[in-house]
Amino acid sequence: MRAHSTLHEILPPEERAIEHVVARYQRVAPAVTRVARNLAGDEELLVRLGSSASARHREIVLDPGVFQAAYMRRAPVTPGEVALASALHEVVHLVSTDLEEQRPIPSSWFQGREAPESDAPVDLLTALAEAGGAAAVSMFFALEDGRQELTGMASYPGARSVLTDMYQSSIRSAMEAAKPLGQLAISGFALVGEHVERETLEKAAQPRVAVALADATPFFEAVKEAEDAWEVATLALQILEVAKLHGLASEAPSNESAPEKKNREELDSQALEDGVDQVRLLSPIVHNLDGYERTRQIEQRAGADGEKGPSDVADDAATDQLLRVSQAPTVFLPTGQGGRLMVSGFPERFRRFGAAGRETLIEAASAWGVAQRHVSGELFPLFAANQRRGLRSGYDAGDISPHAPLFLGAGLYQRMYERRALRSRRSYAVSLLIDGSASMLQPRPLSLGSRTAPWGLAAATLGAWTLARLCDELQIDFEVALFNRSFSARPDDSEWSFSRRKSQATGGLRRSQGQAADRLTNTINHYLVKPFNSRWRTSEDLLAGLFYSAAHPTRAAAEARKAPQESPPVGMFEKAANVDEFNLSYAAERLSRLGATVRVLVVLADGMTRGSLESLARSVDSVEHSGTTVLGIGIGDDTVQMAYGRHQVVERPDALAAAMVDGVRGALRRSLALSGLDEWWTRAATRERMTTWKEQAGA
Amino acid sequence: MPETVVFTDPSGEGPPIELEQFEVPSDLPDHAHRVGKIPEKDPHYVDLGMLYRFAAMEDVRRRFPEGYQPLHIAVRGHMGTGKDHDIEQFAAMLRLPYYRIPLTGEVRDVTLIGSTLLHGDGKGGTESRWEDGEITRALRGPSLVNLSELNAAGAETLFALHGLLDRYAALDLPTGETVHLRNDVRLFGTMNPTDLRDYAGTQTLNKAFADRWVIWEKDFPVVEQIKTMVERRYPSMAEPFSDAISRLAAEVNASFTAPDVATRVETPMSLRTVLDRVPTGLRVYGKAADPLRRAWEEFVLPQIDTFDRDHYETVWSAVVRKGPKGPVFGK
Repeated sequence: MRAHSTLHEILPPEERAIEHVVARYQRVAPAVTRVARNLAGDEELLVRLGSSASARHREIVLDPGVFQAAYMRRAPVTPGEVALASALHEVVHLVSTDLEEQRPIPSSWFQGREAPESDAPVDLLTALAEAGGAAAVSMFFALEDGRQELTGMASYPGARSVLTDMYQSSIRSAMEAAKPLGQLAISGFALVGEHVERETLEKAAQPRVAVALADATPFFEAVKEAEDAWEVATLALQILEVAKLHGLASEAPSNESAPEKKNREELDSQALEDGVDQVRLLSPIVHNLDGYERTRQIEQRAGADGEKGPSDVADDAATDQLLRVSQAPTVFLPTGQGGRLMVSGFPERFRRFGAAGRETLIEAASAWGVAQRHVSGELFPLFAANQRRGLRSGYDAGDISPHAPLFLGAGLYQRMYERRALRSRRSYAVSLLIDGSASMLQPRPLSLGSRTAPWGLAAATLGAWTLARLCDELQIDFEVALFNRSFSARPDDSEWSFSRRKSQATGGLRRSQGQAADRLTNTINHYLVKPFNSRWRTSEDLLAGLFYSAAHPTRAAAEARKAPQESPPVGMFEKAANVDEFNLSYAAERLSRLGATVRVLVVLADGMTRGSLESLARSVDSVEHSGTTVLGIGIGDDTVQMAYGRHQVVERPDALAAAMVDGVRGALRRSLALSGLDEWWTRAATRERMTTWKEQAGA
Repeated sequence: MPETVVFTDPSGEGPPIELEQFEVPSDLPDHAHRVGKIPEKDPHYVDLGMLYRFAAMEDVRRRFPEGYQPLHIAVRGHMGTGKDHDIEQFAAMLRLPYYRIPLTGEVRDVTLIGSTLLHGDGKGGTESRWEDGEITRALRGPSLVNLSELNAAGAETLFALHGLLDRYAALDLPTGETVHLRNDVRLFGTMNPTDLRDYAGTQTLNKAFADRWVIWEKDFPVVEQIKTMVERRYPSMAEPFSDAISRLAAEVNASFTAPDVATRVETPMSLRTVLDRVPTGLRVYGKAADPLRRAWEEFVLPQIDTFDRDHYETVWSAVVRKGPKGPVFGK
């Protein structure tokens, strides 16, 4: 039996997705940054993620796609170890690689051949290509890669041992597949990096390569001691001579034409790279000539003043989106399924429509018969009493403790004031979860056979507004959240910034992540319009602004077109299928964390979940079992009947707002009845509930 | 003739400093008590330069050059850098009774200086009697007073010490008595840096009080210094273990002292962890497959804040990943 499981076996494919790779990197990022600063000797150095690796002045950009490849190895390493080792590996190469120093080409590089007449200084890669062709450049990169790892990671033997395990797991198959020159390059890389013993390589190599290995070993040893890249280049040329002596590399025929020479050298170079690429972790800057030049171009593109070109900005938006997705919380369902949920505040610019929204709200409340005043009349005294009973002691945060005289006597002045153990003193909490997909903004009949209007989200927002006022008056913790599936808006987004960010991130991610771009940009979003911990007064304008956008989507869109940089991102409501169960589970968890005795969760949607109806039903069941009452309201859609134990289907806006308010009121009243308060109005509430709300047996 | 002690510069730069040791006069009423307060030399102590600096200062004081005024040294450093140990070992070298007086937010001037207390007179009545506080008691004979956690005490408490620390060099007691700073008394202090770190109870040192001290910084030791300490204390520990422990500590502490909050940890690996806890863990788990990993899990990780755990574990993976094979001790 094997002593170790390999990474490939323990890591399911979905855990190798780019957002998971980035999330794992984020855990090691602080330590990686510190190591990078140590290596660069620059305490100001920034290390960030980007779509292309580069090392600019005081900034290193790591491409998470490079890390992703490391997770494909069949090596006895853990995902956390790979996250660290792959990032450190990239940092070491980006910090250490600078081949721009110019020198005259050493004449010793042309032994037995005519050296060029000019002794003008050139950069190392130009000199090497001139002296040894493409194969010499490839051999140089293989050796320099190993040398940088040996020296750069000398202080981090743990991380280096992860690389060793990864390389060792690939060496046998790589040697089998490689051509003779590739085998020599693999051996050089592995010996310089001290990852494998020579005997192991000799056993896996072809006989003539094994013989060449013995001759080349002193040169490999010298590479370890090399002071700079020029010295490594000299050794690369010498090793290539050894390869030629043993027939591993092609010899130049006497009458070879220039194109034939180029072709021959490129074939050798390809054989060399193909071999060593099977073993090493690819780092673009030390991969080959193309990789080095591409990385340098990216570095230079930033310009001397650090100003970014359009491509950099797009890359930033893409990386930014990638980071947001990787940092999003993962929600687990009772079915065991898990998914990321983009949780953020609702865009603040919706306040801009607040004043117009308030006027529209008054009109709509009147038109749809939703009372906005005296909703809590008879309930207030009883709720207030219950709240008091919920107190753990007679003083609240900031109040003087009843034990103050004792503390004063003991000189413990700072303990005069006591903080309560409970975060909230509320016994009741209500969470309202509203479908925020574009279909909620679609026109639908106001009543049977009548004209149509976009009342879905408007009526839901009106219901939320009414409930919010009720809860605020009764001092009940209250939350309104909106959920949809689209590109996720930020709290500070305007219509302009949202659409710009969206197009840049989508374009950038398509370039760097291919098909995964859709998954990374079309996310499951959960916006907190009025969180539990904020005061209703501060959220009123936001909700009113949302109401305006919902009641008059065309007008809102027109205003956004007129002033896109000031207007809220009305384009955030896209027609896409929601995944209700993740939002429900997340909202329920937030609700339960409050510690309230009575918890009510109202979910409002106008279509079937794109997830699984079974998952949704089990999620609802699970939340109900935890003691939270879940009310499902379907707008013109009866899917709620299949998923929610307590449900109602509404076809008109007045019915929707009434269902929301009455449903919550009924649930609260029932909780009072359960606690033994048998008053006339609780019995009335039960009758009322039975006539409007359908409940499945045993729900 | 008093015996002498030689202090050598660990950096090899300065010349050795030879100083005469103190003697506790036999006619002191608390002679036996004071002699009992002279600390033992720690055979495992490694001077990283602080003791030599103390000795250099002492040497100047003894020569009492023109215009000289006695100065008092406060050592400032993070937890577990060995500040108090340095001062205690200096007292041991000079054969001075060592009084370590911890200052806390609860300490009042009466605790330090003294107060009049009521005592039974044996006849059914009471009489009031002056009782020296901790500092006053120490000042009445040869002593090295270490006021530890200087910046934890309230400023109003420390004001009472101003006269003692400056040119006046004496404490005026409410009884009318003046207790002068003797020539064989040395005043030292220690404190943690006042920044955003979690040193509960510390505060910015009052400027007037701080001005009465020479404040020297004590940094965390570097890899080689830690390794020397571990090897001095545990000569039989196998080198791969002492090497790994030293590297881990140096790396974590470099993260702790990083100025950038985004890349630093909030809990350092103190010398107590390095020299006491981890080696004990290695003895407890010496037979485990990976003794260092077990010691790390049981004796290091529980000490740290939850949010620092990822960073600690990353450092572990980068520096060690798989601990050395045993046996740990008995090289």
